[in-house]
Amino acid sequence: MITIPAYLQPGDTIAMICPSGYMEPARAQTCIETLRSWGYVVHVGKTMDSHSENYFSGTDEQRLADLQQALDDPAVKAILCGRGGYGLSRIIDAIDFSAFARNPKWVIGFSDVTVLHAHIHANYKVATLHAPMAGAFNDGGAEGEFVASLRQAMEGKKIKYTCNVHPMNRRGEGVGSLVGGNLSLLAHLCGTSSEIKTKGKILFLEDVGEYLYNVDRMLYQLKRNGRLDHLAGLIVGGFTDMKDTTRPFGHSVYDIIYGIVSEYDYPVCFDFPVSHSRENLALKVGVGYKLKVGKGKVTLEE
Amino acid sequence: MNRKHFLSSLLTAGAALPAWNAPALRVEAAPPPLIPAYLVAGDSIGITCPAGYITAKEIQPAVQQIESWGFRVKIGETVGKKDGSFGGTDAERTADLQNMLDDPSLKAILCARGGYGAVHIIDKIDLSGLSNYPKWVIGFSDITVLLCHIHRNVNMASIHSKMCNSFPDDWSKAEPVQVESILSIRQALTGGAMQYPVAVNEKNRTGVAEGVLVGGNLKTLETLSGTRSDIDTVGKILFVEDTGEYLYSIDRMFWNLERTGKLAGLQGLVIGGFKIKPDDPGDEFGRTLYDIVLDRVKAYRFPVCFDFPVGHQKNNYALKYGMPHRLTVTAEKVMLEDQRS
Repeated sequence: MITIPAYLQPGDTIAMICPSGYMEPARAQTCIETLRSWGYVVHVGKTMDSHSENYFSGTDEQRLADLQQALDDPAVKAILCGRGGYGLSRIIDAIDFSAFARNPKWVIGFSDVTVLHAHIHANYKVATLHAPMAGAFNDGGAEGEFVASLRQAMEGKKIKYTCNVHPMNRRGEGVGSLVGGNLSLLAHLCGTSSEIKTKGKILFLEDVGEYLYNVDRMLYQLKRNGRLDHLAGLIVGGFTDMKDTTRPFGHSVYDIIYGIVSEYDYPVCFDFPVSHSRENLALKVGVGYKLKVGKGKVTLEE
Repeated sequence: MNRKHFLSSLLTAGAALPAWNAPALRVEAAPPPLIPAYLVAGDSIGITCPAGYITAKEIQPAVQQIESWGFRVKIGETVGKKDGSFGGTDAERTADLQNMLDDPSLKAILCARGGYGAVHIIDKIDLSGLSNYPKWVIGFSDITVLLCHIHRNVNMASIHSKMCNSFPDDWSKAEPVQVESILSIRQALTGGAMQYPVAVNEKNRTGVAEGVLVGGNLKTLETLSGTRSDIDTVGKILFVEDTGEYLYSIDRMFWNLERTGKLAGLQGLVIGGFKIKPDDPGDEFGRTLYDIVLDRVKAYRFPVCFDFPVGHQKNNYALKYGMPHRLTVTAEKVMLEDQRS
């Protein structure tokens, strides 16, 4: 059974940390102010303002320490990652999750944070939140529906999303735990202790900036690892800024996915608003959902 | 190789090394690989396209060269076929490769080029015919899928080398290193001793390793993780090369090696060519390939050599994949050589 951390209430403390790539502190200001305006106490971790001059938001030791402290502090009810990038793979095996397992809290983010979602789901069966991060609050995002979905999810409002139908959808209904995230990371985690099992679950995928052939190759990796054959449903999010080789791959990203899952019969919905662009609804990883892919609409309901 | 000379040079070099650089004791002896018969004049080599497409014209330099070596060439049906970027449909590529694997008259199968696509057909390939008719499978890059799969599932030796698309159109104008790389395929196929002297690199980590040589394209190795083509590297010498990847991605792939248990039990690590994709502005990784590799292996003691002539480059020598090798890395010399029984 999945453990669902306590939902947040005004007055609770949210820790903000940057476990992967460097984030300019100014880019997180709107997020911090918005969380405070919602009534939360915000602990700004050292990696959010790290003076790092390289790719990462701090050394492995500094990023690990910041994350570890947030996981261990009983006053912290949620950990919101500032941004993704790359870096969690370097520290994931050094994190001590024992205090977190005893005292679960919401871990929030996406992209590289897929490593945390997958690792926690695979090893601790605690629900996490795949959702917009600090950057999404900028440029008016704080007032938009995607940041609103983050707030609703962490405050415990039951999720029901309705989205448009896509002509390639495969109709049907599926019920199961929701798992997934960034395809590149899910592929990268295959064969490691952070790899998720997907049997009977609803899988969601998104990615950014990948070559089409590489998306195909990563999907084959999931398929060959048995991660696509017994799904309750598949949610295909945005695959933005896709690139192609000099010799064109000859298939669009949705064609690729459609072809790879054509031998199965679970429902598939395309163009779900989970992505690296603005469209990015909060999803509770590990929590049970019902996916209905119908003729007139698509719903995902907790 | 003059064995006596080799041993004496090893002892001399070894005297200056810390004691832990001696080869670690093997926990259990690896089962000997199935070694296909070496080729003799008149033997036949098949050419097929399990991944990307190539035209019949583009393989002509390879065909002529191989025939000049005294071998016959059988051109597969996928040569000249095209399906998107693939050398024919999945079904066509599967059938062509399968026919060649099962063909008793072929002594080797040369993949025409890499690209992408071997993973589409690998699970449809039946390797059982190889126990009756072992043969050399030749290629690299995307063909890493085949080499890994064959090593893992039937423990047959294969050849990691350049393919048809790298044979020079005009031998008289080809650079010596290019010619040497191509001729090393013949050397490997005919059972000649394989020795690869490598320039000393100050970043190398010294030591001596003995083990079966495995590896290939790093990104391809990552995408095989967890599948039934994934290789076990314990007690082996691992070589890796890659092209067109960002530094952060290379770092992440070395973490994949670490986290899938492919570094802990190594005897030695051989770093080939890495054509690195420049960082995007504002996303400078700030670490070199040396930093990435040395950081990842600092918990271990096996020898590491850089700039080995394998990869997407002109100096890409044929390696006998899945066969025992010895790697010697000292301050004065670096040598990889196959171990003759």
